[in-house]
Amino acid sequence: MSQFALEVKSLSHSFGSYRVLDNINLQVLPGQIVAVVGPSGCGKSTLLKAILGTNPPTSGEILTDGIPVRGPNRNVGIVYQNYSLYDFMNAEQNVSFGLKLDETSFLTRFFAIRTYWEKRKKHLAKSRDFLRELGLENACGKYPHEMSGGMKQRVAVAQAFIMRPKIVLLDEPFGALDEAMREDLQLMLLRFYQENLLAKKEGRRPEYTILMVTHELNEAIYVADRVIGLSRFHTQGDQGAAIVYDKPCPLFSPEDPRDFSRFAQQRDELRKAVFNDEYIKDRNKYVTFWSELSDLANSVASTTTQK
Amino acid sequence: MIRRTIPIWLFWLLAIGGVIALLMSYEIVSIQATRINELQNTIPSLKKLPEGIKEIFRPQREPENPKPAMFWVDIRATMLRLGIGMTIGVFFSVLVGVLMGAYRWIEAPLSPIVMFLSKVPPTAMMPIYFALAGIDLSMFVSVVALGIFFSMTQSIYQAVCQDVTDEAINKAYTLGASELEIIYEVIWKQILPKIIDSIRLQIGPAMVFLLAAEMLVGGAGLGYQIRMQSKTYNMKVVYVYVTILAMIGLAAEWILATLRRKLCPWYVK
Repeated sequence: MSQFALEVKSLSHSFGSYRVLDNINLQVLPGQIVAVVGPSGCGKSTLLKAILGTNPPTSGEILTDGIPVRGPNRNVGIVYQNYSLYDFMNAEQNVSFGLKLDETSFLTRFFAIRTYWEKRKKHLAKSRDFLRELGLENACGKYPHEMSGGMKQRVAVAQAFIMRPKIVLLDEPFGALDEAMREDLQLMLLRFYQENLLAKKEGRRPEYTILMVTHELNEAIYVADRVIGLSRFHTQGDQGAAIVYDKPCPLFSPEDPRDFSRFAQQRDELRKAVFNDEYIKDRNKYVTFWSELSDLANSVASTTTQK
Repeated sequence: MIRRTIPIWLFWLLAIGGVIALLMSYEIVSIQATRINELQNTIPSLKKLPEGIKEIFRPQREPENPKPAMFWVDIRATMLRLGIGMTIGVFFSVLVGVLMGAYRWIEAPLSPIVMFLSKVPPTAMMPIYFALAGIDLSMFVSVVALGIFFSMTQSIYQAVCQDVTDEAINKAYTLGASELEIIYEVIWKQILPKIIDSIRLQIGPAMVFLLAAEMLVGGAGLGYQIRMQSKTYNMKVVYVYVTILAMIGLAAEWILATLRRKLCPWYVK
């Protein structure tokens, strides 16, 4: 088992002669919630698709838990902005879909019906329990067209996390939701982070590792424990977007007031580093996380060894 | 006002009124035609239609070779041809349509052919079927199966492209699905209501192709009988057969709509 949930090594990507991403290096530890922000068209989605495995990079390598990504696979979960739940399954069937795929074979479902149904009952029960934990007990029997946007997105989150992938990618997850729903889902991510902290404290490997793409700066800093800025506004910008900002964020617990003034200074710094086209800077100037990251990795490694 | 709602009782009253108006108009035209020519059979009075019903259900009495009633011979022949033809046509349309929507290397060579042949009217292809498949059961089956195959393949292929998003497929991969599982668990289940709708829409054209073929070369069948009876101006039988065809169409529509509701309760048009 690798000490990193995700490693992106020297990743570059071009569409024909147009270079989108230039030499991206990124390491994510288990239990981190990382937000990726950047101007429109800077390559956030390209990076996400590369990590997902649907859009292989022109050069460089991506590893999840030490295993190279060759295509979309079981190690990387995904939650899209438009929910993309399966219309023909209700909420509990959607959430248990991965369990069914994981624990029963295609032939078993047709030729060993009894064994299949016994397993299926367990999957559905597990899915109901997970939905209940997320406050969705009333949604279990509902089809996607009967659910609100917020409900659908929480079900989509449950569908991804119940599989315990090494990392879950959230692609503008709350972009289509109203403010109240956004808040609910942000709190859900903060609860996941609390569980990660508890797991670390107990010497377990944290279960919720997230890389989230968002255009909302407050949301990024509020929910994540680390924020990454991707931008072309740096001295070698003509070669493609690069990571120009990588710093830890203040930690919030779900009970804390949503006081965005706590990180006003960081938000301004982030805006200047990532979104200001008049401010061309050295791409490493705002990246301070790498030294802290190696310390963190060592501490996780020693905890795992002690265990 | 356009689309203004009306009370349900009024809706039903108008619906029943429409049917009564149609029957009354028919009867008036029939009376007028009889006034001009007492022996006319072209527009028989509604009172004569029960005779047509009796006639089609009357056993054909031939002392040495007793046969069942005309209707049972015809309906059996037509339904057998339609059933086998539709089954084969639907099976291959779904198979090819789904595979075209799933794999680019299947889509590339087949989509121009399917698109081109779906535009050829199947009745124009009949001489080719006669030449290739003779005029026995296999010809009628080919007319129905090939008649619906190209247009249905086209609609299944489009349903896969439109209704199954890349996101749905990528997500299935991240949940651990194999290609076979994606085809069955995601693509097939997502487009099942569209498949049922396509079958429903193809029954009409399939009947047209089959009846046309039966009228041309059949020895039994609803199409054959309609042609034979119309030649002798025995229109009371023709009208009964036409009504039965409409009832078969309505029954098939109802069965498939019910099937879609039961199998796909999630489907909202």
